[in-house]
Amino acid sequence: MHLTVVGLSHRTAPIEIRERLTFPEPRQAEALSVLLSSPDVAEAVILSTCNRTEVYAVTTGEGRSSAVVDFIASFHQLDHEELMRYLYVLEGEAVVRHLFGVVCSLDSMVLGEAQILHQAKEAYESSFDNGAAGRVLNRLFRQSFEVGKRARTETAIGESAVSISYAAVELAKKVFATLAGRTVLVVGAGKMSELTAKHLVSQGVRAVLVANRTWERAVDLAERFEGQAVPYEELFERMREADIVITSTAAPGFVMGREQVAAATRGRRSPLFLIDIAVPRDIDPAVNDLSNVFLYDIDDLNGVVQSNLAERTREARRAEVIIEEETGSFARWLDSMEVVPTIAEIRARAEQVREEETSRALRRLGALSDKDVATIEALTQAIVKKMLHEPTARLRRSAGEKDGYSTVEAARQLYGLDAEDRDPARRHGPRVTPRPLESPEQGGTEESLGC
Amino acid sequence: MALRLETLTMWLAMALFAGATVLYAYHFFSKRAVLSWYATFLTGAGFLSLTASIGLHSSNAEGSRLYGPYSLVLAAWALVLVYFFVEHLVRLKVYGTVLLPFAVVLLVVAEALGAGRPVVPPPLAELMLTDSLGVAFHVALIVLANAGFAIGAAASAAYLGLESQLKRHRTSVLFRRLPSLGQTDAIARHSILIALPVYSAGLLLGVLRALQTDVAGWWADPRVMLSGIVWVVFAVYLYLSNVRHSSGRTTAWVALGGAALVVVLAVMARTVPAGFHVFAVPGR
Repeated sequence: MHLTVVGLSHRTAPIEIRERLTFPEPRQAEALSVLLSSPDVAEAVILSTCNRTEVYAVTTGEGRSSAVVDFIASFHQLDHEELMRYLYVLEGEAVVRHLFGVVCSLDSMVLGEAQILHQAKEAYESSFDNGAAGRVLNRLFRQSFEVGKRARTETAIGESAVSISYAAVELAKKVFATLAGRTVLVVGAGKMSELTAKHLVSQGVRAVLVANRTWERAVDLAERFEGQAVPYEELFERMREADIVITSTAAPGFVMGREQVAAATRGRRSPLFLIDIAVPRDIDPAVNDLSNVFLYDIDDLNGVVQSNLAERTREARRAEVIIEEETGSFARWLDSMEVVPTIAEIRARAEQVREEETSRALRRLGALSDKDVATIEALTQAIVKKMLHEPTARLRRSAGEKDGYSTVEAARQLYGLDAEDRDPARRHGPRVTPRPLESPEQGGTEESLGC
Repeated sequence: MALRLETLTMWLAMALFAGATVLYAYHFFSKRAVLSWYATFLTGAGFLSLTASIGLHSSNAEGSRLYGPYSLVLAAWALVLVYFFVEHLVRLKVYGTVLLPFAVVLLVVAEALGAGRPVVPPPLAELMLTDSLGVAFHVALIVLANAGFAIGAAASAAYLGLESQLKRHRTSVLFRRLPSLGQTDAIARHSILIALPVYSAGLLLGVLRALQTDVAGWWADPRVMLSGIVWVVFAVYLYLSNVRHSSGRTTAWVALGGAALVVVLAVMARTVPAGFHVFAVPGR
């Protein structure tokens, strides 16, 4: 029995290849069925996202991963040789480390993004529902979700925005105690300002005002947010109502000067947060010198994103420590599922019992001749040997069978080799249900991912 | 035995607060929620231990000593008490990182100045002081108000730090861990809004005592005058923030100025010759 993963990702294959190798949800059952029809594949989980396609499998026989590679090639009708240029194949402990890294989002296009954990859960659920996940992959994936959760709670890998629009939202949340009930003024009806306003509204912003030189476009955008269009001439007057201002006009020079903003903020205690995502800039940088006014242009926001990414990279190192720890734990469990060490443990346990019982019996019998003692020893040894012969022979044979791990596990349970396996709750683990996606500020990155 | 237990509980409280400080600091940087739970637990245990120490001290000395180094112990106790309220209200563990070290420093200074020495019979003047319930309330209210001012000042300092980072477009660990500008400003305002009436009541009790004992020129006492200035500064703070709607930056500097005066006042009270600011004693 071997653990293996065959796959490709954004690191190894261009989009043209990745899009040809996806396993969409409606075809997963069929794919798993085909895969498991191979005599060499005992268990399988297919993880298919826009950035990766990976087949995790427990294989038997000598071929190991070749059965999975053959399956991918034939299922997608691709040339075997061409396919191999983009695939990576990992086996044994490397598979565990890889999966843990994937669910922790260390291998994602955007480090620390939250979506992959959800996608891995869906992949596992699909496999489980189709009866393709057995003892090993059940344990592996359930543990991987715990690893993903640990990485998110014990490190800051998923914190801080890594896209321009989320960075703006994150900064707004650093300025105001809450965004609920705030008013945002959008100046210019560009795509980026619309996206930022959308994120702000999703965070509870109450009112959206839109000012644009073309009145129709202002009305159109305002309607999308159930907001209000503002005549461009009233811009500075209406700015008094706003807590957040987003500008993205195509004006060649500054639309807002220091004096105009100073006049609009006179007498207000609440801060004013200005987001200038226009190039060339719409707001005079000197505005940032005003008290209680915070101005961020596109470069500033980019700087925040880069800083956040650097922070995530630092946190990734901490996540790697968790992964190493958990990989070791899984590897120990997997080793215990091997036939040879299991047989050795059963024999050792039986020998221990035999010795204890024989000693006790000899003490009760009192003085015996050496010949009698030797006879009793030989007798007990023969009994133990004969009693264990059939179970151990069956265990050996199971090593080459598809459900070999189940037999080993049953034997370990029956002989009480694993203390933890006496607890049924631990043995089977909790039923995993997909969690909803985490909130954007924790690392939502749909702009960057595109999926 | 009572003496030993009093000292032991005091040292235990210090150790627990120090441990909590380390855990809060580690939590601040590492974001491990479990650490903040342990930190809060240690703070609670330290608070109980300090309360026990104060109780033992009180019973041993037949009443708490409200003056001298021991008042720092009471201040630390009040600070932790107020901290628990604040944490309960705003759920911001980051304040533990800021305020617990304050409490530890107060206890260490108190110990260094001899608060932990065996209790000797207090001077007659002090005994006469503590006999008055009004004076006891006066001291208790001032100590609690000072704790509120300290929290307001800590929040104001956090506000200025955060505002500076936002202005300079920098994001450090401090930036990520601190609550928003709006929250820090609100905490500062609420703390001072609660602390000032408490302080006013404390001052009023002091004035009443001064009038009762008919001390000549009590109002010219530098400490009384400074207390009045502290009151005015924090009153100005509330006026600026609630009436004039001045910027958070301006009010934060006012709060820090007021807190600095409180510190000066506390140092003055402990460095000027004995007998100063003791109105309750006839003949003073």
